[in-house]
Amino acid sequence: MQIFKKTPNIPFLKYKWIALAVTLIIVVAGLINILAGKGLKLGVDFGEGTLIRVMFKEPVSVSEVRKLLSEVGLGDSIIQEAGKESREFQIRTMEKRTTTQDQEIESHQILADRVIQSLQGEEDRQKLAQGLLDLNSIDRASLTNLLRSVAPDEAENLANKIVDYRTEKGIIASWDELKRAPLNLPQEITSYLESRTFLGKMTVLSRETVGPQVGKDLRKKATQAIIWSLIGMLVYIAFRFKGVEYGAAAIFTLAQDVLITMSIYSFTPREINLPIIAGLLTIVGFSINDTIVIFDRIRELQRTMRREKLENIMNLSLNLNLSRTLITSGTVFLTVLSLYIFGGQVINDFAFLMLIGTIEGVYSTIFLSCPVVLFWNQYLKKKKLHK
Amino acid sequence: MKKNLQWKLAIIVVVIGLCLFLIYPPKDKIKLGLDLKGGTHLVLQVLTEDAVNVETDQQLSRFEEVFKKNNITYLEANKEKPGRFYFRGIPVDQEGKARDLIDQYTRDWDYSFSGDRLTFNLKMVAAQYLRDLAVTQTLETIRNRIDQFGVAEPVIQRQGSDRIVVELPGIEDPDRVKNLIKVTAVLEFKLVKAGPAPDEETLLRDFGGKVPEDAEVVRSDPKRGTQGYYLVSKVATVTGKDLRTVRRGVDEWNNPAVHFTLNPDGAKRFEQVTGANIGKQLAIILDGRLQSAPVIEARISDSGIIQGRFTPEEADDLVVILKAGALPAGIKYLEERTVGPSLGSDSVRQGLMAGLVAIFAVMVFMIFYYRLSGLNAITALILNEIIIFGAMGYFKATLTLPGIAGIILGIGMAVDANVLIFERIKEEIAVGKNITSSIATGFSRAFSAIFDSNLTTIISAVFLFQFGTGPIKGYAVTLICSLVANLFTAVFVSRFIFDAFVPTNAKRLSI
Repeated sequence: MQIFKKTPNIPFLKYKWIALAVTLIIVVAGLINILAGKGLKLGVDFGEGTLIRVMFKEPVSVSEVRKLLSEVGLGDSIIQEAGKESREFQIRTMEKRTTTQDQEIESHQILADRVIQSLQGEEDRQKLAQGLLDLNSIDRASLTNLLRSVAPDEAENLANKIVDYRTEKGIIASWDELKRAPLNLPQEITSYLESRTFLGKMTVLSRETVGPQVGKDLRKKATQAIIWSLIGMLVYIAFRFKGVEYGAAAIFTLAQDVLITMSIYSFTPREINLPIIAGLLTIVGFSINDTIVIFDRIRELQRTMRREKLENIMNLSLNLNLSRTLITSGTVFLTVLSLYIFGGQVINDFAFLMLIGTIEGVYSTIFLSCPVVLFWNQYLKKKKLHK
Repeated sequence: MKKNLQWKLAIIVVVIGLCLFLIYPPKDKIKLGLDLKGGTHLVLQVLTEDAVNVETDQQLSRFEEVFKKNNITYLEANKEKPGRFYFRGIPVDQEGKARDLIDQYTRDWDYSFSGDRLTFNLKMVAAQYLRDLAVTQTLETIRNRIDQFGVAEPVIQRQGSDRIVVELPGIEDPDRVKNLIKVTAVLEFKLVKAGPAPDEETLLRDFGGKVPEDAEVVRSDPKRGTQGYYLVSKVATVTGKDLRTVRRGVDEWNNPAVHFTLNPDGAKRFEQVTGANIGKQLAIILDGRLQSAPVIEARISDSGIIQGRFTPEEADDLVVILKAGALPAGIKYLEERTVGPSLGSDSVRQGLMAGLVAIFAVMVFMIFYYRLSGLNAITALILNEIIIFGAMGYFKATLTLPGIAGIILGIGMAVDANVLIFERIKEEIAVGKNITSSIATGFSRAFSAIFDSNLTTIISAVFLFQFGTGPIKGYAVTLICSLVANLFTAVFVSRFIFDAFVPTNAKRLSI
């Protein structure tokens, strides 16, 4: 089977001005947004606040969560719903720059504690104050201790069963759940638990705080990773292509891969964390490689078709390689799409970036890398000849 | 089968067999990162300045003693800042004697006279040594505490000059461990001179509103119930260093408490002080907060009990920190990431799902598009996955969520090599070459492109590994493994399958 019955003949280079215009629009809009608008939002990894993921026993709405948070003066936090049942939320408190650096991580932690306490609600706090334990956050050892007085021999076993069940479900919503399969706890155990514990309204799934010092370090490391990978690729490109024009074109492609992807990304509410940097570099590598394959073809054809105009050779190379470009990008796109749909909340930003990047990579390879070589040859080389 | 093919088969079987051996059983061989297993990742900074400060205080009081003993007079002795203290008003004629004494007592401190002022400065090397020692000791103490607390496979490592990374898998109550690590755990027993009083003013009324020279004010720990201020003696009767054994028990009302015994030296002092102060209160102070102040009812020698309305967990934790000893310097948390076990197992489930869907989608596409040759690519892909996990097992690499993303991405990229080769073979067939030579040319022509494609991605992955932290390292590792394995499977294994299954005189190729 083939995508194209015979080699297609699409005059890609005809569209170079349109492509350039589209690129410019995206990049300029992106740059304006990055520099003057909301722009790129640095995430928790770079020392900007705290990220807390929580799960509620019952479905709640974003506005209810916000109301609870406003009560402790944290109404300006970013609240995102995760998961389908309106039970999981991702809460991002914003940094407070008023405190000194020394206290900042502590203040992040205090903020996080405040978020958690305000979400727990008055009722849960009172129960805790009465000395009841929260069955939705108790650890194995404490639960074992507790159960010893009602089932001395089985305490550890029971505690493990309950905690494992809770781990699988995320949160225990009702006492009935404990009586039903798969736990099937006997009446005496559940009534004992009901008397000594309560089912907390929510549970903390994860909590991340990075202080300013480590944030600064991570920013430095990320910058180093980007700079060194780009240098690495440039060295490789220089080594691989003897012609300056191809090198220049590869660098141009590389720059615009980064610019377009980040421009589009800046229009989403998503934040930049370490996986995003990793994704960006992967996109660059992938797109550069596509470009290299096309350039190889061009030079191969130049040897056999000496009379042909460069523009036509380029078109032919692009067309010859079109099915390869589409298929390999297509398979990567399929896998990234699967990651985007099924991979879950934690990796979703990364998957999203890769989706943009894969499409953008094809676009830049086909429409943008060759024109640069062409311009170089048409304008810069001619000037040299005139001299 | 041709001899050369037999050799190739043998190589493939050995490589795959080795990898399977390295993976099996997966539960033990593939380590999951904290983001998948659940757990806490902490970065903490040792406040090494504390160690310098303590040394400065010690040297200051030591020289005060030495000078007094040797009849060197001075008007004032003071700490200027950590690492520097001075004596003022030493008579000129005693300067020589002072110099001799200092030379005799210390080599870690530089000193200089200017006018009537003698200034001590801690040498750079000595300060560095102290700081370094503080970090090493803190690390050891934290390790002891965590071991005592009982965490399976903790990672406690030094990072840079003054940071310590602590990774605790499978922790369900991170706050408890965080507190356990952070408390300095300086335990002191001091005689109570007055108290409790509701505030400092009331407490000091009998002393003319001033704290006597040999005493200090402590507050009771808010967690221990009764609030109040106490005036206690400055010098501790015994401290945490004098403890010989510590264990959890109960007090006479059956409440959780901590029992201890003292070493002979401590016991001697304890016996003396308790014997002389029967009827008075003895304050038990932890990190500057009074836990309880029992009345001394009889002379006690070498054992005692610490009570203070503890919960069972608090009593357990107190035993842990007392056994492990006090921290030589304070610590500060720089980074904290906690992933609960349910989010971790969710991530594993979702990652697995995404991976399976991805691999299935790619397989369907390859078979649909390349028919039997697609089957060849799929075989290569599956072997590729086996090699990735084998390599991870061999390098003891940790699988993280970004690592799973790397593997999934690798699935998409791995078939790239097959696509390059197959497209070339198709072109060769299209110009009318016979099948066998088309396959041979397809492979040789596509090789440089495959090499390029893997190399560009490996370049960025290597730097990500170099500069990345935990999860990102995981991504870089799986991506690199997947690309290197790809060179073997797509080029070597795929070629072998063609050579083995396509007859030399084949007229058609299902591609």
